[in-house]
Amino acid sequence: MALTSARLLTRTVHEKWICAHSLTLRPLVCINKAAFYGEYRRPGQAQDRTPPWKKIRFSFAKGVQGIRKHFGLLKDEAMERWVGPQGRPLIEHMLEQTRVQWEFRGPESLEQWLVSTDREIGGRSEAYLKLGRNDSACMLYGTLCSTPPRDGETCYSGYCTLRSRQLLSSFDRKKNIDWSSFNTLYIRLRGDGRPWMINIAAETYFSHQKDDLYNYFLYTRGGPYWQDVKIPFSKFFLSSRGRIQDNQHPLWLDKVSTIGFTLGDKADGPFQLEIDFIAVCNDRAHTEEFAYEMYKRNPEV
Amino acid sequence: WILAWMGLEINTMAIIPLMAQQHHPRATEATTKYFLTQATAAAMILFASTMNAWTMGDWNINQISHPLATTTVTLALALKIGLAPMHFWLPEVLQGLNLTTGLVLSTWQKLAPFALILQISQNTNPALLTTLGVMSALVGGWGGLNQTQLRKLLAYSSIAHLGWMIIILQFMPALTLLNLTIYITMTSTMFLSLKIMASTKINSLALAWPKTPTLTTLIMLSLLSLGGLPPLTGFMPKWLILQELAKQDLPITATIMAMSALLSLFFYLR
Repeated sequence: MALTSARLLTRTVHEKWICAHSLTLRPLVCINKAAFYGEYRRPGQAQDRTPPWKKIRFSFAKGVQGIRKHFGLLKDEAMERWVGPQGRPLIEHMLEQTRVQWEFRGPESLEQWLVSTDREIGGRSEAYLKLGRNDSACMLYGTLCSTPPRDGETCYSGYCTLRSRQLLSSFDRKKNIDWSSFNTLYIRLRGDGRPWMINIAAETYFSHQKDDLYNYFLYTRGGPYWQDVKIPFSKFFLSSRGRIQDNQHPLWLDKVSTIGFTLGDKADGPFQLEIDFIAVCNDRAHTEEFAYEMYKRNPEV
Repeated sequence: WILAWMGLEINTMAIIPLMAQQHHPRATEATTKYFLTQATAAAMILFASTMNAWTMGDWNINQISHPLATTTVTLALALKIGLAPMHFWLPEVLQGLNLTTGLVLSTWQKLAPFALILQISQNTNPALLTTLGVMSALVGGWGGLNQTQLRKLLAYSSIAHLGWMIIILQFMPALTLLNLTIYITMTSTMFLSLKIMASTKINSLALAWPKTPTLTTLIMLSLLSLGGLPPLTGFMPKWLILQELAKQDLPITATIMAMSALLSLFFYLR
């Protein structure tokens, strides 16, 4: 009896020790990457605990194809260096005042873009991207629904976004766009009168900057006529996770990653946006460096 | 070595606030990258000197004689100044800074590591120095080829010039010193001229001719001097170095250096 009690006591103490130490050791032993980097997980969905090596789908043919593709890209990059910056002669770079970065002239142009909506968080908006008439423009159309998903966590919903894919060079390295010779964004589009937001993402370094975007408003005119929108880059303001930041600074144009268009005007119903091309130009008359005052908050008195 | 390490650390710490003065994420990124590389190099210097003191019993800077310690400290100093293959931080850091801070980084910040390099020059591995020099000259020429940003261009120019300085160190340290002095003068001229013109891209240089013809001419001459074109001053150290390399029976090395100088001259002339 006494021996059984002693064993029980030892076991209880031992179990408590294991419990206490596992609680303290857990952060050291298995780091929750999703919590650390703030990744979004749909409420109600179980965390994906599959180890990375179980997610590999090995295919020899795909591997060979990949090697061929990437070495081909590397060879092209090396050859381009002899021509000039970005594979074009230097004189072209020095003299250009406009550059059409994206234009929608064929099905392959749509592959450079990603469409997403609040369906990813459980909402009911829909958005689709297709080529317009005569393959001369793209049309982003769909329906917005601002009813929030009933998951107990999400309060707001009703958005859709069209974002360009990150350009990649050989071996899937990120390639950035250099717009430092230009100062204005020029877009030819035809909307339905809804207010959109243009988001430009630049290359960032710190993990807390991964959601940093430079935004500006895009008010479309509904109507049969095409609209030429010229927005100086000095007008773009900084936001992070959708919130405008107090510490503002101008967008540096030498490492631009992506551009996007977001609709989130809380108006349920159909929408459509046609884009002919997205270009950049150098407006010599525009000399403003940054449109917003950068005064000191809480100045010393 | 302890005092030298302390001096290098103080030097790094002193310039960090100057670099981060501009409240922009790119400046903060440049400052962080600079701090990490310089701290790593300083830690390697301390490690190498401690290892030498442990094995050889000597803390003197010019008495570092243990081969591993010598190699480690050479690589650490190469990381400090941005010699290839430890050069990857330099263009990105310079691009994130304004021209004044870039000038300080390219000129003043090289003095302290070079002082140490000159003191340990007698004990360094000649093959390592030759490798570092040739790689730096080639990387500096190749990397600067299609640069349109002037700060990155000057960073690659810095890497190439450092290669020239390092390669002759083992044969004639006086030439290294001469090359360093002339490089500092030319680079300071370039940076200050660009600061007056407030230009950071080659496009703005192209448009500068009608506005400031004298300054544009000066920039052109400085660039040609950096490229080593005779009869400008920048030709002299390159010529003397090639002559010395030829005297030391290193014609292949001299040829490679001359070819890399041609690469650099190509993008300066453009």
